[in-house]
Amino acid sequence: MQKRAIRLAYRKIIDVNAQKPWEKYVFEDSYREFLMQAQLYNPEKKYSSFGELIIHVPNAEKLHFLVSASVVGYLKQLNGKIPDIVNAIGKHFLPFRNYRFEIINSDIRSKEKHQVAINFLTEPLTWHDTIGSQLLVSLSNTDQQPQEEGETPTELFSIQPYLTIHSLKELT
Amino acid sequence: MERKKFLKDSLAALGLATVLPLACSKSSGGSSSSGSSSGSSGSSSSSGSCTVTSTETAGPYPTITPSSYVRSNIVDGQTGVALTIKIYIKNINNSCAALSGALVDIWHCTAEGYYSEYTDTPGGSYATVDYTSSHFLRGRQTTDSDGLVTFTSIFPGWYSPRAPHIHAHIYNSGGTSLLITQIAFPTDICNTVYTTVSPYSNRGVQDTANTADMVFSDSLSNELSSVTGSVSAGYVLTHTIYVSA
Repeated sequence: MQKRAIRLAYRKIIDVNAQKPWEKYVFEDSYREFLMQAQLYNPEKKYSSFGELIIHVPNAEKLHFLVSASVVGYLKQLNGKIPDIVNAIGKHFLPFRNYRFEIINSDIRSKEKHQVAINFLTEPLTWHDTIGSQLLVSLSNTDQQPQEEGETPTELFSIQPYLTIHSLKELT
Repeated sequence: MERKKFLKDSLAALGLATVLPLACSKSSGGSSSSGSSSGSSGSSSSSGSCTVTSTETAGPYPTITPSSYVRSNIVDGQTGVALTIKIYIKNINNSCAALSGALVDIWHCTAEGYYSEYTDTPGGSYATVDYTSSHFLRGRQTTDSDGLVTFTSIFPGWYSPRAPHIHAHIYNSGGTSLLITQIAFPTDICNTVYTTVSPYSNRGVQDTANTADMVFSDSLSNELSSVTGSVSAGYVLTHTIYVSA
């Protein structure tokens, strides 16, 4: 097949059901930052939910950006590898540098309603072939060393829930 | 112009979700089913699909990390005349004594009048994980026993129709808002910076005087800071904010 460069996007949702330490930290700290920053837009505590703030208060959508500062340090701890998504042999392999943080829901009176997403955007991958439901790709920067000269180290993985192909470029 | 574009595009960006639910693949032999509730955050979000469970050495071990606002130097590569910002927080409920342990957030615009939120992810695009620079000219410090916080920054520019200013949000140690306010600059010093130093001088002096400003005109006496220094040596801003804590 025609070789293509693709970027994948993975949307990781974190809410009150967070289990792993990293997810719990993101949940706790993004909620704390939300409580602090939301006071800018809600000084009289007239509104309770994030949805109400977005509808009624001009510029409240800036909360996505303002709260994102609480998770930047945690993104750094991932060492440039997207969490959760593994290749066919069960290893994390997707490199990322770009992200977009979003508040899905929250509520100044109910931590249980706090729900955020981190959208991870991968670095470009070269898509060589599709085998069954799996994509065969190669990375421009990889830890894998070719066994022989001329070989291209590859990764095989399945498209899975919350993982999508974000962009595509035909390679000549 | 860019600010308007940002506001318009950011609305569209809210709808930009990237969810691609797929049916369970039969070919993923040896895989185990992961969580089932939508939005669960187990090893892989799942809604009726199977994915390979990760089989890796545990780690890297996450550690609790403060918000990236927590730093004294908020310059992050922005160009401008050096400005040290010293803010004292005092408590009117305690004989105007210093308030220690208060959290102080400040933010201000670049030399050319832009805030970080308008340049970080314009139109809702993706930010780069280069740690703090996406939140430039924003910072958070905790007051010491003198009620003092100190930031290293640049002299802010201005944007229409406002007089030059720094925003400040003061919280108690638990994060409850005590006061949201702004800090004004002496006009003579603004005039010097804005007419003699690039890139400020590309735009010249502010279009709104403190006395005509929508925020400062009725409260300038308690919002005007004291600024000393020079363009070459940098300036030091000193200001006292009174809160009810």
